Amino acid sequence: MLKINNLNANIEDKSILKDFSLNINPGEVHAIMGPNGSGKSTLSNILSGKKGYEISGEVLFENKNLFELETEERAHKGIFLAFQYPLEIPGVNTNIFLKTSLNAIRKARGEKELDAIEFLKLVKEKAKELKFDEEKLNRQLNVGFSGGEKKKNEILQMSMLSPKLSILDETDSGLDIDALKVVSDGVNTLRNKDNSFLIITHYQRLLDYIKPDFVHVLMNGKIIKSGGPELALELEKKGYENFN
Amino acid sequence: MTEQIKTDFEKIVKTSAFSEKDVVLKKKYLNRFIESGFPSRKLENWKFSDLNQIIKKNIGELSFYNNDTIPNKVDTSIFVEGLEHNKIIFINGRVEKIDFTYEDQDKIKINDDFKFLDEFSNSNSLLSLNNAFANKCYKITLKKGYSMKKPLVIYHTTNEKIKSRNINLRLEFELEQNSFLRTIDLFKDEAENNFINIFYNFDLKEDAILKNYKIDKVINQNIRYSYNNIEQGKNSVSETFILSSGSNFSKNEINCNLKGEYSSAFINGIFSLNNEQHHEVRTIINHLIENTKSYQLIKSVLGKNSKSVYQGKIFVDTKAQKTDGYQLSKAILLDETSEFNAKPELEIYADDVKCSHGSASGSLDENSIFYLMSRGLNYQQSKELLINGYLLDVVEKITDSEIKNLIKSMIGIRE
Repeated sequence: MLKINNLNANIEDKSILKDFSLNINPGEVHAIMGPNGSGKSTLSNILSGKKGYEISGEVLFENKNLFELETEERAHKGIFLAFQYPLEIPGVNTNIFLKTSLNAIRKARGEKELDAIEFLKLVKEKAKELKFDEEKLNRQLNVGFSGGEKKKNEILQMSMLSPKLSILDETDSGLDIDALKVVSDGVNTLRNKDNSFLIITHYQRLLDYIKPDFVHVLMNGKIIKSGGPELALELEKKGYENFN
Repeated sequence: MTEQIKTDFEKIVKTSAFSEKDVVLKKKYLNRFIESGFPSRKLENWKFSDLNQIIKKNIGELSFYNNDTIPNKVDTSIFVEGLEHNKIIFINGRVEKIDFTYEDQDKIKINDDFKFLDEFSNSNSLLSLNNAFANKCYKITLKKGYSMKKPLVIYHTTNEKIKSRNINLRLEFELEQNSFLRTIDLFKDEAENNFINIFYNFDLKEDAILKNYKIDKVINQNIRYSYNNIEQGKNSVSETFILSSGSNFSKNEINCNLKGEYSSAFINGIFSLNNEQHHEVRTIINHLIENTKSYQLIKSVLGKNSKSVYQGKIFVDTKAQKTDGYQLSKAILLDETSEFNAKPELEIYADDVKCSHGSASGSLDENSIFYLMSRGLNYQQSKELLINGYLLDVVEKITDSEIKNLIKSMIGIRE
């Protein structure tokens, strides 16, 4: 599904990702763990099309060159990024945003756009599953939401848009245990043989709830080790500094 | 210009039914105008918008003669649908119709007399021009305790039959004690390259409420100037909303005198400008007595080569303790060629007051755009959603829900 070959990324003269390679097949869950500044967020930004990086190398999504696609086209093709810091958008109603987003993606996929009633039915269902306060759907997008609510809102959007590849950028940071469980349940519900996940995190904790198939350790812009879930436990024990 | 204006004035006097007294009065104002001419950037108030140059550049020589003895045909297709309303219709500077169908006729008094021209005065040369050439001066009085059932829509229209290159419109309103008036000014011009000069004078007695909404939305090549003078008695409330978007050049001035205790003034405005447009809002709030309040919020969205100006002055008299006076202006510059000028002025002579002003400008937040695009919206949709959200809180300030919804649908803002 996703093939990253020798990806290099710089901001100005600073090299952030160095010959980064990764292969994700349909149905797989990959976790990338790494200390601050190792390039985790840069990776997720680049995959979703954020501008401002100098890039070389190759990224293929379903055998298409990702760099030829605009941010919204990547979303249409099924890439979703759950933001580490979801933005507050004043004056934009959450429901209207969700509906615009969902219909833009459905339209691009050649599916029928949902009318207001169909949309509300769906969003209420999903909100309930995620224990997301329905009243918040009528508020301005993320404005005045707590950290946990913002993260839940990301997962709500993810489950509404049913992406093929979901990238979760430190979704666990700032979540309490209950919220962590709800968010993980949301991810696990979406897991099937076709959907893939790339989970970026500092801590092993999230991986207790979402069992990864593969764990990669990212240091200084490079994957230094890959393995199964046991690698996360090892990392947790040793810490990043002593890992080499 | 001097010869042209004198000849045109004489021509109007000949064809009109003005009394001798009227002519003397109007001539006085004509001479005043000739003496001072159009305002230029030499005047502090006009330093961001040199009207003299703007007229020269966009219109050239003005002409002033219109034959106001022949009625114009009213185009009913311009009427606002879905809102029952009273009407005043201006066509090419002529008052074509005054229609208060929905109201108790004995509660509204409509007089037409040039003596009302003297009801307020200032040194503004455009007021002299207006007084000299306005072909009627109507005064509309709402009697004590009367709340108008429906809003009054004032249609400002021009068409190709217009002869002059200048239009002067004038209305006087008196809101007697505890009366209530809602007005919407709608601008729909077919004629181009006119200088349109509008003066309103509102006199709000105790407990009176005025809500005035100005909607300049339809793109047109006119130079528009509009001045509201609002006198406020005890406990009175005035609310002004301005959508400044359609005209080539526009300047709205609001002068508000809070003379009665517990009176308050609200002014909210949106500039939405593009290609070479240049608009200004200038407000002067005079807090003249204790316990008065004023609130202002002005937001701009500025496209390529456009320019907005906000000059907001809050004056607090020595007597005006316990004043609240707030103003905030913000701008989004969509292009490096767009320009926003803000000149807040606080002049405070009392010591127990709460006043503040603020101004901010910037471009659209790229991170927010990225966030929206990562959810499948294209750049244009993301931009529109953000701008819509940015402007929504100004529209939400409109206290009349019926008119708020009308304005939202007119300008394409949604919740």
